[in-house]
Amino acid sequence: MSAALAVAVGGLFAVGTFLLLQRDLVRVVFGIAVVSQATFVYLIAMGGIEEGTGDLVPVLDTHGGAVPEIADPVVQALVLTAIVISFGTTALALVLSYRAYEENESMDVTEWSR
Amino acid sequence: MSLLVIAPLLVAVTTAVCTLALGRRPRLQRAASVGGAVGYVASVSVAVWALVLGPAAPGAAVYQVGDWPAPFGITLVLDGLSAFMLTMAAGVGIASILFSVRYVSRENQRVYYHPLFHMLLVGVTGAFLTGDLFNLFVWFEVMLIASYVFVAFYGTDHATAASFRYLVMNVFGSALMLVAVGGLYAATGTLNMADMARRLATPDAYGIDPAPVVGLSALLLAVFALKAGLVPFQFWVPGAYTAAPAPITAMFAGVTKKVGIYAIVRCYFTVFATASVPVDLPGLTAASPLGFLAPVLGAMGVASIAVGGFGAVGRDRLESVFAYSSVGQVGFIAVPVAIAAAADPAGAFRGVAIAAALVFALHHALAKGLLFLAAAAVEDATKTGRLRHLGGLAGHSPVLSGAVFVGLLSLIGLPPLTGFFGKFLAFDAAVRGIASNPGPSSALALVALLVGAVLTILYATRVWTSGFWGRETAAVEVASADSGQVAVLVALAAAVVLVGVGFDPVYRFAETAATAALDSEAYVDVVGLNGGDRA
Repeated sequence: MSAALAVAVGGLFAVGTFLLLQRDLVRVVFGIAVVSQATFVYLIAMGGIEEGTGDLVPVLDTHGGAVPEIADPVVQALVLTAIVISFGTTALALVLSYRAYEENESMDVTEWSR
Repeated sequence: MSLLVIAPLLVAVTTAVCTLALGRRPRLQRAASVGGAVGYVASVSVAVWALVLGPAAPGAAVYQVGDWPAPFGITLVLDGLSAFMLTMAAGVGIASILFSVRYVSRENQRVYYHPLFHMLLVGVTGAFLTGDLFNLFVWFEVMLIASYVFVAFYGTDHATAASFRYLVMNVFGSALMLVAVGGLYAATGTLNMADMARRLATPDAYGIDPAPVVGLSALLLAVFALKAGLVPFQFWVPGAYTAAPAPITAMFAGVTKKVGIYAIVRCYFTVFATASVPVDLPGLTAASPLGFLAPVLGAMGVASIAVGGFGAVGRDRLESVFAYSSVGQVGFIAVPVAIAAAADPAGAFRGVAIAAALVFALHHALAKGLLFLAAAAVEDATKTGRLRHLGGLAGHSPVLSGAVFVGLLSLIGLPPLTGFFGKFLAFDAAVRGIASNPGPSSALALVALLVGAVLTILYATRVWTSGFWGRETAAVEVASADSGQVAVLVALAAAVVLVGVGFDPVYRFAETAATAALDSEAYVDVVGLNGGDRA
């Protein structure tokens, strides 16, 4: 599991960085989104996945039956917060890229005069 | 536990909401905005006096959000360091909003200017108060989202391009910060700064391995340096500073940059300093993350001084000169911090060097705030910000020029202005750094400060002689400065002089702040983690 997560995080960061370095505005915005997703996967992985017991998660004592593996709830809360922020930022980036395109009359960042 | 800790935060949020609701009543909205800023200053003053500086003050206080005990909930802490930074933010904030009301056109003020301004204050205040690493990230984002909009505020080609670049840079920075925060959580098992300091001090007791902290802290350093605009992360500074409305640029230079510096000092000196981790890199061996910080931040500071200084000398626009100067001046703040990191942990010198950095930060906030606002007033009056079109302003509008003169002299560092003490203490720290830690790196720090000081004199003189002396140019002859704007400038200039003349209490405040920054145990105590392991 850890190896799969590591590959996923590494791959997402690589793709995101590649997109961020493009000249096209929309690709840069995609890059922003992908890099953010990479950090979310990373954050989830940082919580670790371990066997749930009643000491760790009180609700499991009364849940009955077999308990599947559980993840750290703190990182879930962090990722939720980060997703909301990232959503807002990406939306702003899209609007801004459209406006920057209108003002600078080019989608190519290197062709901007200033 | 005290509601007073979050009073500035509450005031700023309430004002943001009120100004948003009053969008259709411009006059009321402006009044609410200014009133909110006054309330912010009042709440900061009361909180700082009652909790940190006053005779009966406990020295530090904490607010546990939702009454959750410390390592589990979010903790907001007002200690000496936070108090110092908040006071600075309040001073620059009130000047900036008063100037905005007179400077930004009425139509533009109605376009969410005031709510955004107060949201910027909310973000800054939260970042100064929080005692939780992830929460710090959230406050950074609050501050940044307001900043993106402000950089793009005028919607021109320049502004949208600058804002887009600023946004991409900072989103990547935020991603790195999340990586660092997540890594620190995995390594130490906590996000609470006080808890982290405690765990790093005795890693065996908590069964954690502090080794990854050095690398993760380096990631954090990169993010904070990006916020502070230190070389090699300075390239967004000139574009964003010249694109944003001038009063906001004063806020950027005076306050949001200092958030980066504050975060470096808080995280490294209060939290990571407690860890003893061997650092073994090529050309760098040390016993704690601070040993890593010292050379890296020192090099960044020295490079910032050089880039900022040389960049400022050649610029033609007043705003660009001050934007580059701002890069250099942050170097002047970073170098004493680096010297403090290299100093003996047990000695008193470390606190002296931190206090020097804080005093310089205060000086920079006041003087650069004054100069950015003055540049805006000059541009408003003459319709040009280019030095080659300016000249003879000293004879034409003596009061405005007088305020600029005070700002430039403070930048150069003439007594009895605030800048003198900032420079004096920075040099003092550098000289003592050589005495306590002889070697080429300490000498380089001193040389860099000297070169930086000479460059400051150079560009300050250039601004004054070509813009304010000489024959009045055509643009200056028809100029008429707005009296309200000039009044704000005069008030800021008076603050620069008064802080310098009555420097003793200011220095004691800075010393209190430095002590608070270095005393991890007291920080842990305040947060309520002393005695026994709650977890």
